[in-house]
Amino acid sequence: MAEGPSQPALEALGISKSFGGITALDAVDFEVAQGEVHALLGENGAGKTTLSNILAGLYRADAGRVLVDGTHCEFHTPSQAIAAGVGMVHQHFRLVEPMTVAENIHLGWMDTPRVCARRVLAARAEQFMEEIGLHVDPMAYIWQLSVGEQQRVEILRVLARGARILILDEPTAVLTAHEAVDLFEVLRRLVRGGRSVVFISHKLKEVLDVSDRVTVLRDGVRKVTREAEGATVRELAVLMTGEAGEIKVEHRKVAGKVALGVSGLTARNDRNLVAVNGVDLSVREGEIVGIAGVSGNGQTELAEVLAGMRTAEHGSVHVGDQDITNASPREIIDHGVGHIPEDRIGMGMVLPASVADNAVLRHYRRDELSTGLGLDRTAVAAFAEQLVTSARVQTRSLDGTVGELSGGNQQRLLAHREAAVADRVMVASHPSRGLDVLAAQEVQSTLIDLRDAGCAILLISDDLDEILLMSDRVAVMYEGEVVGLFESAEADRDRIGILMGGQLDTDGRR
Amino acid sequence: MKAFRLERQLDLDPRRAALYRILGALCALLLGALVLVATGRNPVWILGQAIDAIFSRQRGIEGVALRATPILMTALSVALCLRLRIWNIGAGGQFLAGAFAAVGVGINLDAPGWVVLFAMAAAGTLAGAAWILVPALARAYWGVNEIITTLLLNFVAVQLAAWAALGFWRDEEAFAIQSTKSIEDTLPGIPGTESLSIALFFPLVIAGVLWWVFRSTRAGYEIDMIGGNPKAAAFAGINVPRRMVAVMLVTGAIAGLGGMIQLAGSPGAQQLNAGFGAQYGLSGFIVATIAAGSFLGLVVAGFLIAAMFFAGLILQTRGLSVYIILALYGIILIGVAVGEIAARFRLVRADLDIAPPESP
Repeated sequence: MAEGPSQPALEALGISKSFGGITALDAVDFEVAQGEVHALLGENGAGKTTLSNILAGLYRADAGRVLVDGTHCEFHTPSQAIAAGVGMVHQHFRLVEPMTVAENIHLGWMDTPRVCARRVLAARAEQFMEEIGLHVDPMAYIWQLSVGEQQRVEILRVLARGARILILDEPTAVLTAHEAVDLFEVLRRLVRGGRSVVFISHKLKEVLDVSDRVTVLRDGVRKVTREAEGATVRELAVLMTGEAGEIKVEHRKVAGKVALGVSGLTARNDRNLVAVNGVDLSVREGEIVGIAGVSGNGQTELAEVLAGMRTAEHGSVHVGDQDITNASPREIIDHGVGHIPEDRIGMGMVLPASVADNAVLRHYRRDELSTGLGLDRTAVAAFAEQLVTSARVQTRSLDGTVGELSGGNQQRLLAHREAAVADRVMVASHPSRGLDVLAAQEVQSTLIDLRDAGCAILLISDDLDEILLMSDRVAVMYEGEVVGLFESAEADRDRIGILMGGQLDTDGRR
Repeated sequence: MKAFRLERQLDLDPRRAALYRILGALCALLLGALVLVATGRNPVWILGQAIDAIFSRQRGIEGVALRATPILMTALSVALCLRLRIWNIGAGGQFLAGAFAAVGVGINLDAPGWVVLFAMAAAGTLAGAAWILVPALARAYWGVNEIITTLLLNFVAVQLAAWAALGFWRDEEAFAIQSTKSIEDTLPGIPGTESLSIALFFPLVIAGVLWWVFRSTRAGYEIDMIGGNPKAAAFAGINVPRRMVAVMLVTGAIAGLGGMIQLAGSPGAQQLNAGFGAQYGLSGFIVATIAAGSFLGLVVAGFLIAAMFFAGLILQTRGLSVYIILALYGIILIGVAVGEIAARFRLVRADLDIAPPESP
C-alpha cells in the first residue's frame, strides 16, 4: 500500500539508543501507515528489537521522538504505550500457563472487573474475540494450547486493550509453516479492519509475502524503506548483510590433511528437540571453514558437541584419525581442540575468580603448572602474565577478578587462552560478537595467526560479513542441517543470504 | 537534580570486605547493647563481667577453648562446602551422626583404649559423611537444593540420638536425664590443663590443611572454579558432579569427626542424648559466614563466638537469660551479612537524569 494522504499511524523520528557505550540505534526514522503491514528487517543485532521495544514503551530512547497519530508521545511503561494504541507481542510469550485464556487476557488490565467470576471473564473475552475476529477457547488453559494458539492469545491480549498498532517480534520463529500461514491471514484481516502491523523478521520470503512496505536496518542504521512489491529476496539480503569488513584476509584452497572430521552428527538441544541433524563437515589443517546461519539453527549445539559439552546422538567426530565422539572436555583439551564458546560468561570464564586462575583454566593440568597434587602458583602467575601480555589484556592486576574486565578484554583473554589450547583444532563461536571494531579485529587476527600456524578452524557466526571475510570455505546451516557449502571464491553473499533464510537454492538444493 | 545514590562497586577489595564485615558485627553488638540498656541493664558492666569471667581464671580460657573445638569443627565443615557455593545447613546433624556412631562403637567394642578411640574416630567420620551422602548425590546429579535436604536431616539426627538415648543404648542407671551409656575411653588430656584434651588440635590441624589445599593444590583450585562457575569448570575438564560429591562427603566427615571428639574429648560429654551439641550446628554456620572463605579468619571467629557463648553461660548466673545470647548471635549474623553487601556499594552524589532501569 502506498503512503496515503493521511497521517501515519505511528512515526519515529531520529531514534538513537545505546547500551553501555555500544550504539544499538543511530538516528533511525521509521513510520507505519494506517492499514499496512510494515516489515522491519535486519540481522541479529541490527536494532530491530531495540527499536520495537522503544516504540512499545519498554526502553526509552536516548534521543528522538515518537508520534502516534501525529501526537508526540512519551512512554515510560508498556501500558502507557498500549493506552496510546501501540502494543507489542514478544517473541517469547508472556502468558501464565496454569491460567485460562480469559484470565490471561484480563491479567494486569485496568478494565478488568474488580470482582470477576470465571464465567464473566470468559464472556468478556468471547466478546473481544467476536469484535476482533480471532478465536481461541476462552476457558482453555494456556498449557493446553498449541504455540500458534498461544500467540493468538498474546495478540488478543494486546488488541483487547485497544492497541491499533501491533508490533510482532519474530512471530514466525516459533511457528510451524502451517501456523505461519494462519498468522498471515490474521494479520491481513487486522489491517483490513484499519489496524497497522509492524512485522519483525529476518526471513525474507515471508516478509515479501505478507508486507506492504519493508524497512531494513543494519548495525542500528536504517538502510532503506520501500514498497514490498517489486523487491527481491536477493536485494534485501544484500541490504541486510552489507559490505565486507576491514581486515584483509587471503583465502586459499587448502589441500592439507583433514584435522577435524564430522560425519552424520545428530544432537538434541536443551528442549530435547533435534538441533543438529546429520551434519557432515571437514576442516583441513590451516583452513578456516565458516558456518553461516541465523542464530538458533543448530550452530550452538554443534559447537558444544565438539567441545564435549553436549552429547551426540548419532554420528562421529574425529580429530586427525582419532575418534573423539562424546569424549569428555578433558580428553578433548588433551587432543588440542580449543573452543571459544558463544556463552563466554556462562561457559568460558569464572567471573568471580582471578585473571590468573582464568588464564590457566584449560591448562592447569599441564606438567609445567602441576606437580603431583600441587598447583605451582608461581608458574601459574608466569603463564598468566605471558598470556595477558600477548593478548594485550588491560587489567589492573592478575589477582583482580575477570568480572572487572571489559567485555573486549575478557574476549581477548579467552581467545588467546583457547588459541594456546588449540594445537590442532579451534572451534570459535561468534568470536567477535558485541565487541568494538578494534577488539573484534584483534580476535579475528588471533584466529588468522592460528590458521597460518596450521590449525584447523571452524568459525561459527551469524555475522555474514565476518564469515565471508575470514573463511576459506563457507557452509550454511539451516534448521540443523548443512544446506550449502562453498569455496570462498564462489561464496556469493546473495546465495548464502537466501540459504540462511531457508529458501531453496536455484539448483534445487535447499 | 542531584541526589545520593548507591552505586555498585565492580571490584571488591578483600580487605575492604573484611573491614565491613567487622563493622557490621560491631554495629550488631551496639544494637544488642541498646536493647540491654532499654531493658534496664548496663551493657558496660555486663561486658566487664564477661571479660572478667574469661580472663581472670585459667578455667575461663579453658572454657572458651573447650567450646571453640566443636564450633570450629562444624564451621570448617560449612566453610569447606561454601567454597563450592553450596550451603551445608546440616553440619549439626552430621556432628550428631558422628557422635552417635562413636558412642555406639565406644560402648560396644571391647578392645584396648587406643583401638577403641581409633575405631570411634573412623566410625564418627564415616557416619558424618554418610549423613550428607544423599543430599550430596541429589545435589550433584539432579540439582536438588541442598539447603532443604541437609537442613531436614538435622531433625532426623536429633531423633536418632533420642532413640538411642531412650531405647537401645539407654543408660539404665541414670534417672534424671535420658541418655546413652557412657564411653569409657577418652582422648588424652593436654598436660598442664584441667579440662582440655587433644581434641583442641583437630580443628586447628584441619584448618591448616584446608588452608594449604586451597593455596597450593590442584584440588583446591578445581573446587574454587566449580564454586565460581560450574559450567566453566566442566568446560575446563573437571568432572563437576563427582568432585562435588567428594567435597560434600569430606564436609560431612569433618562434622562427624567433630561429634566424635566432642564425645571423647570434652569433660562430662561421654554420653549421647537428644540435646547433644545442640548449638554447634548454628554456631559453626555463623562462624563460617563471618570468616567468608578464610580458614585463618575462621579460627579467630570461632574463638570469638566461643567466648561469647562461654560468657553467656557465666552471665546466666548473674541473671541474664541465655536467650539474649542467642538473640545476639542472630543480630551479629545479620550485621555481618549487611556489612558484606554494604562493602559492594558506595554512596555517590550524582545527577538523577538517568531513567530508572525498566524491566522488559
